[in-house]
Amino acid sequence: MASVSVTTSQVLAREALQEASRTAGTAPGLLTRLLRGTARAAVAVGRRTAAIVALAAIWEVLPRLDVVDPTFLPPLSQVLVAWWDLLLSGELLDHTQASLVRSLAGCALAIVAAIPLGLLIGWYRPVADFLNPLLELFRNTAALAILPVFVLILGLGETSKVSIILYACAWPILLNTIAAVRGVDPLLVKSARSMGLRPFRLFQKVILPAAVPTIFTGIRLAGAYSILVLVAAEMVGAKAGLGYLINYAQFNFRVPEMYAGILTISVLGLLLNLLLVRLERRFSTWRVSR
Amino acid sequence: MKLQIQGVGKEFAVRGADRPFTALDDVNLDVRAGEFLTLVGPSGCGKSTLLDLLAGLAVPSRGSILLDGTLVEGPGLDRGVVFQQYALFPWRTALSNVEFGLEAKAVPKRERAERARTYLELVGLSGFEERYPHELSGGMRQRVAIARSLAFDPDVLLMDEPFAALDAQTRESLQEELLRIWQRTGKTVVFITHGIDEAVYLGQRVAVMTSRPGRIKRVLDIDFDSREGDLRADARFGEYRHEVWTLLRDEVAAASEVVPVG
Ligand SMILES: Nc1ncnc2c1ncn2[C@@H]1O[C@H](COP(=O)(O)OP(=O)(O)OP(=O)(O)O)[C@@H](O)[C@H]1O
Ligand SMILES: [Mg+2]
Repeated sequence: MASVSVTTSQVLAREALQEASRTAGTAPGLLTRLLRGTARAAVAVGRRTAAIVALAAIWEVLPRLDVVDPTFLPPLSQVLVAWWDLLLSGELLDHTQASLVRSLAGCALAIVAAIPLGLLIGWYRPVADFLNPLLELFRNTAALAILPVFVLILGLGETSKVSIILYACAWPILLNTIAAVRGVDPLLVKSARSMGLRPFRLFQKVILPAAVPTIFTGIRLAGAYSILVLVAAEMVGAKAGLGYLINYAQFNFRVPEMYAGILTISVLGLLLNLLLVRLERRFSTWRVSR
Repeated sequence: MKLQIQGVGKEFAVRGADRPFTALDDVNLDVRAGEFLTLVGPSGCGKSTLLDLLAGLAVPSRGSILLDGTLVEGPGLDRGVVFQQYALFPWRTALSNVEFGLEAKAVPKRERAERARTYLELVGLSGFEERYPHELSGGMRQRVAIARSLAFDPDVLLMDEPFAALDAQTRESLQEELLRIWQRTGKTVVFITHGIDEAVYLGQRVAVMTSRPGRIKRVLDIDFDSREGDLRADARFGEYRHEVWTLLRDEVAAASEVVPVG
């Protein structure tokens, strides 16, 4: 008898389950949908950060297991503590500020100089043809290779640091601007010309707006370069800045602080890029799905 | 006469060749004021080249083009061009695209938007003013392009295969709309097409061009008793169609290129 009742309850349970799954299948309740959505979002976030979490774990574990020498690569937790101390002392803020001012100044000057120049070169074909070999030559000369020249001429002060960032940032902006102007759809130019637009209005109403997205791509690249070159620029004769911090910490064997500086500069670069990508997208909404 | 094309020739310098390439040779054609003229010819015979000359976007190598008796020396707002690939400014909304010609004409700002709205309505696009070109279908984009050319009120509308990229249904409805607009506005229209049906359906006259180098072979008068009802079902439609087809056949054979029929 007992066995019979067990099977009956099992059957009942199975039926109840089937019923539940049927109702869930036909009309998923708000709660299930909400749960499912949250789960999916969590998985997406998880997938994106998985590699970073893994790297952090490895960074923490390997030095602790003495697989790598903790003197040269301290565990992540120690680096984070050093970072926290730097933050509390206000030192980190000062260095970051010094670096940002240089980066932004160099980048801003590059924008101001390179965009008009690029527009001019792109618009006047003879100028472009004349300058092209020169542009190719300079473009393929790494900014860092020229750094000593800047130091030689402009000294060790701020001028040479901002100048080298300006130099590095100017190229992607200049080349993208030239390409943008020359890449404007000739049909649009023809269409505007058919409505009697003179060259100046044509430039203002067609060439410029058509070129904006490509120019912005150049600015985004320049943003990345400004951080990349920064460290090198600050390694010679600086008294503040993240590059100086990294270099100084290494020199004084304050290894966790050195890594803290490196981490800060990575995150800074990442944030700047994120910001510029956002900005770029906003300026080229009309270019999507074309 | 609205447009007079007199002994017009056009040559292009070809890279690597010592002799220039003749695209048009001694083209003579008069377009009457308020007329709807269609222009057919085999591919590469120089139809677009001729349209560029009429628009003032290029200069003829020989001969002259007169608009209202004065020599055409450059582009102007007395002529509106509609291109096959729409040529809308992708960073401007439909409304703002239509306003473009009005800005060129220095129409005051408030009046601009009002007029652009009116013309978008005329082509059946009210409610789509704030859409960007990439958010519109091909047919809608061409409507915007037509509205843009109409809005600055040119005397002459120059259209280069404007409906070629559209599906048959959209094309037919746009053809009807164009006829309706033409009848209402009384503009002179020069309409280039590959389609024989389209040429006969739209044109009061059909000009047939020879193959390279392009010349005007014949100009056919298309005379329907009335434009009401289904023209395509009219017996005369078939006759005209056949006539144009016969004229084109020899030219296509000469150009040894295919002209799609229909
Ligand atoms: N800018 C140019 N330079 C050199 N040759 C040209 C130029 N524009 C047109 N051509 C030549 O002139 C001829 C006529 O060209 P066009 O575009 O006017 O032909 P079309 O009749 O419009 O042809 P389709 O029906 O295919 O559009 C072609 O052989 C073309 O190669
Ligand atoms: Mg053509």
